[in-house]
Amino acid sequence: MAAKEILTRRPVAATIKLTVPAAAARPAPPVGPALGQYRLNLMAFCKDFNARTQKYKPDTPMAVTITAFKDNTFEFTVKSPSITWYLKKAAGIESGSGRPGHVTASTLSLKHVYEIAKVKQNDHYLQNMSLEAITKSIIGTANSMGIQIVRDLD
Amino acid sequence: MMKAWHFLKHLNCTPAAASLSLHLLRSSSFSLSRYSPSLFFLSVHTTASDHWPARGQVKNGHANFSTASSSLAVHSMASPVPVPANYVSVLVRCHKDNSDMLAEALLSFGASSVTMNEDDVCSDTDEICVSSIFLEGEDINMSISHAADSIGLKEIPRYEVKIIEEDDWMKGAQESFHPVEVTEGLWVVPKWITPPDIQAMNIILNPGLAFGTGDHPTTKLCLLLLHDCIKGGEHILDYGTGTGILAIAALKFGAAFAVGVDIDSQAIASASENATLNNIGPDKLQLHLIASQTSSSCRDDWPSRVVEGENAFEIDRVTHKDKYDVVIANILLNPLLNLADQIIFSAKPGAIIGLSGILSEQVQNILQKYSLFLEGIDVSKMDDWACVSGRKRKNIDIC
Repeated sequence: MAAKEILTRRPVAATIKLTVPAAAARPAPPVGPALGQYRLNLMAFCKDFNARTQKYKPDTPMAVTITAFKDNTFEFTVKSPSITWYLKKAAGIESGSGRPGHVTASTLSLKHVYEIAKVKQNDHYLQNMSLEAITKSIIGTANSMGIQIVRDLD
Repeated sequence: MMKAWHFLKHLNCTPAAASLSLHLLRSSSFSLSRYSPSLFFLSVHTTASDHWPARGQVKNGHANFSTASSSLAVHSMASPVPVPANYVSVLVRCHKDNSDMLAEALLSFGASSVTMNEDDVCSDTDEICVSSIFLEGEDINMSISHAADSIGLKEIPRYEVKIIEEDDWMKGAQESFHPVEVTEGLWVVPKWITPPDIQAMNIILNPGLAFGTGDHPTTKLCLLLLHDCIKGGEHILDYGTGTGILAIAALKFGAAFAVGVDIDSQAIASASENATLNNIGPDKLQLHLIASQTSSSCRDDWPSRVVEGENAFEIDRVTHKDKYDVVIANILLNPLLNLADQIIFSAKPGAIIGLSGILSEQVQNILQKYSLFLEGIDVSKMDDWACVSGRKRKNIDIC
């Protein structure tokens, strides 16, 4: 964080974390109570969040972190679900293998991995990683969950 | 957490939920409007189930609302349509070194949100409170126990359960609404505040839980567009009307007639009250709740959550009006792309079309879709937001 940012940073009232489905933020629980308690502009958050998550599949559970400042303004960051979540969803399984490396929970193709990599690349903190690097990371995670990655699924 | 969403969406599709919201819509309108409410609600095609925030039990068409009766009266600040919600706030105490991890763990094990206060009230020790919200149906003790386990805590942290009053957070959310001077001589003022400039054109609003208070850049961009292009006597279509602010402003600028449509019953209720607050009757403004559309891309293993829009020309059938001189749509990128046919179709040749609710980076997507239909396109921007406007080309035939 730049020195200037630290000096001019507004006083923080609270940090709020929640999961909101992409493009579907509503002024209802849990968003409503979580933000309303700090007098934050609920509708502005919903509009902003929904606009920024248009590129994700509807209802993808996005991890949101909101910094509420004492003057009732706020900032927020949005992260797409974890790679583990995407892998489970693509493989149609609830949990990874109990014995990864020995028991395969499921199998996915490289195409799946590539699709996941493309979505994750949208995440701010991954923007500097190449698609290839993200793909490798996903394959690693998949293996640790007992999900096998093959070239093609028949 | 995911289970809760599945449950909600499934609930929203039941016919009981649909007829319930219709009942609430009609009964709330009686207390709000001094005109016959049936004129405001010409039709309710289907409820947009994913936007109806109904939760809790729906039995025999009646839901369990704690504040049902009081919310039907006119409050100065409360939302006109009650938002039933059963959730609890749980304050979990833990050592401040563990708070971040515990917060994340709670989210993984059933909490819908977690909040950490900067200045903590209970920090005379090294403990802080992680405040979390759990929706109805979650086993709080189990969730906290699993969360604590997962980060290696030896025992379940102490916690305290609190019921949150709905009104608390709703009022809190609405307190962020202040008078806004959109441009010289044009103000948007909350109903509970005296207009700072009595001589100016003041749009009085009680937004409830609908969008559009004049503060957001997209609302401002649209208001400025309307302010510039309305000469008098036009017919306006406000797509995604929210609080009705754009339709109401257009009428105040001299338009003859406006129709506001939305997929959210909260919006229609709010717009209805706001029309009254600005002395606008059903002869000038009509409001319609319409079905939301799904694009085919969101159909996957998630439970089907919305009723498909009936056909592309629903607006025409619903409003019984031919075409509009101005069509304004402040919604979101995907709906703007999916509804392009409807939006264009409802406009007269040469009509002004304004599209907003989009980020600057999304303008290209809009232009790609709409430049076929529009000429004289202008893009106005404010902060990260944009508004695309143009006139409908005269030689289009849409089948």
